[in-house]
Amino acid sequence: MDWQLILDIVLKFVAITVVFVVVLLVVAYTVLAERRVLGLIQGRLGPNRVGYGGILQPFADLLKFILKEDIVPDKSTRFIYFLAPVIATMAALMTMIVYPFGPDTTIPFINKTIPLVVARFDVALLYVLGITSIGVYGIALAGWSSNNKYSLMGGLRSSAQMISYELALGLSLIGVILVSGTLDLGQIVDQQSRWYGTGWYVLFQPLGFILYLIAAIAETNRVPFDLPEAETELVAGFHTEYSAMKFALFFLAEYINMFTVSMLATTLFFGGWNVPFAEALLGKGSILYGLVSAIGFLVKIFLFLFLYIWLRATLPRFRFDQLMSFGWKFLLPAAILNIFLTATAIYFFV
Amino acid sequence: MLALFFILFAGMAVGCAIAVVAQRNPLYSAISLIGVFISLACLYVMLAAPFIAAVQVIVYAGAIMVLVVFVIMLLNVEQQDHRRSRLGFLVPTAVVLAGVLIAEVAFILSTVSTDRSPTTSASDTGLTASIGSALFTKYLLPFEITSILLLMAIVGAMTLARRGGLLSASTRVVPGAQLLPLSIVNANASFEDPTAIETDTTDEAARLLGVENLRDPAKRE
Repeated sequence: MDWQLILDIVLKFVAITVVFVVVLLVVAYTVLAERRVLGLIQGRLGPNRVGYGGILQPFADLLKFILKEDIVPDKSTRFIYFLAPVIATMAALMTMIVYPFGPDTTIPFINKTIPLVVARFDVALLYVLGITSIGVYGIALAGWSSNNKYSLMGGLRSSAQMISYELALGLSLIGVILVSGTLDLGQIVDQQSRWYGTGWYVLFQPLGFILYLIAAIAETNRVPFDLPEAETELVAGFHTEYSAMKFALFFLAEYINMFTVSMLATTLFFGGWNVPFAEALLGKGSILYGLVSAIGFLVKIFLFLFLYIWLRATLPRFRFDQLMSFGWKFLLPAAILNIFLTATAIYFFV
Repeated sequence: MLALFFILFAGMAVGCAIAVVAQRNPLYSAISLIGVFISLACLYVMLAAPFIAAVQVIVYAGAIMVLVVFVIMLLNVEQQDHRRSRLGFLVPTAVVLAGVLIAEVAFILSTVSTDRSPTTSASDTGLTASIGSALFTKYLLPFEITSILLLMAIVGAMTLARRGGLLSASTRVVPGAQLLPLSIVNANASFEDPTAIETDTTDEAARLLGVENLRDPAKRE
């Protein structure tokens, strides 16, 4: 093995570690932010005692999850019961690698230009959709293996919901693919850096963006589409029987999914890491430009995460038949209409 | 390096495939089948066909197997007893087919030259753009025919599911108070309208649903 290959491999491992740590930190603080913001909106305080303003609360929660007793129901299907949270978390984490979080940047000292992305390949968008569809198994199997009627109902509801909204989700993205002509997320972001970094695809795909946002909220099982864990009907849905760290894994998977969905929205519709005028001011390839872009990417994601929390504080829950008829009778036709309009516009004007 | 990955994924595929037939619990079989599909997708990636790999995961592992798992979960299929008698003539058939397979493999190994260099990632035949342009130019007619076939399958499934309404000749509604949402009785009623109707007998329910002619009057006492 030559020196360059080893350097490449080391850099890849560093990139994976950085992404992993950033994701876990963001997830931990999204949970805290959710509780504090909900408190703010509902006129109460939220957790503010552990550390300054509750800043250490996520670590206290983590410690609690680790130290809790891990209960396995007697009549559960043992192997699948253990497998389900693993599948959910793994599928959630696996999509992380394709998102570019900054432009090509020259690292000082080793003087090497690297793309700020873990892996870049031709079918990145399809990869994301494929892995997302694998995530359904975590929830469906968790519901089934617990041997509890609430869990089973929650698991079934959740799988039905995810299968239904996956279609609308995928179709709402076709508009962007038609405009950009590629499935490679890196290229899609590069295309949006025209007009000094403001040529975002949301300008060309407003309908597609709104449809994607609705479908994505449903896909992540969040309010107002959180039927799988409707407390008033199902206790806690598919994770009723899960405790301690296994419950924490489901919790983690849900928040990572929120994060990935926000990342995809940012990448496809809001220019990814493009910060307006940053390239002109800071110079292409400089480390400062890379840093500003990565921070810009994170800020956009945080705005989406805030939207999630805001929605949770504002909206009531759908009924299940409303959810299904909304997905199939409104969202899906609207997504197809969006494809039709986009294709027509491209045919006549481009 | 590549050979190592090939052995890993091929081993996973074969191991999962054996587990599909060896497991007694149908759900374990289904999960093993998902494993087979995912390992096959990994092999496609190694053959420089990333698009096929992604579609393999989305369509087979993500959509079809979800339905299979769904059905197993809903029907709560019992574990299969280990009864050999049920297999019957299938055992000799399997032996013959295995022989054919081995003969095919031997034929391929003996005739196809092995010195042909394998597909590398530099090839662009497996990329999305080349597959798309091939589908919509060179293979347009087969592509369209396949889509019409799929459309026919969808329409067929709908017709089969809707035939005879909710009550067929073999259904017996238990007498007593049945609560039916209005949307079942009246097709024009909106889905959101939860108004219920009440019936006391099977016949009344059948009449309200407009399917009374399905029940044979001669057989009724």
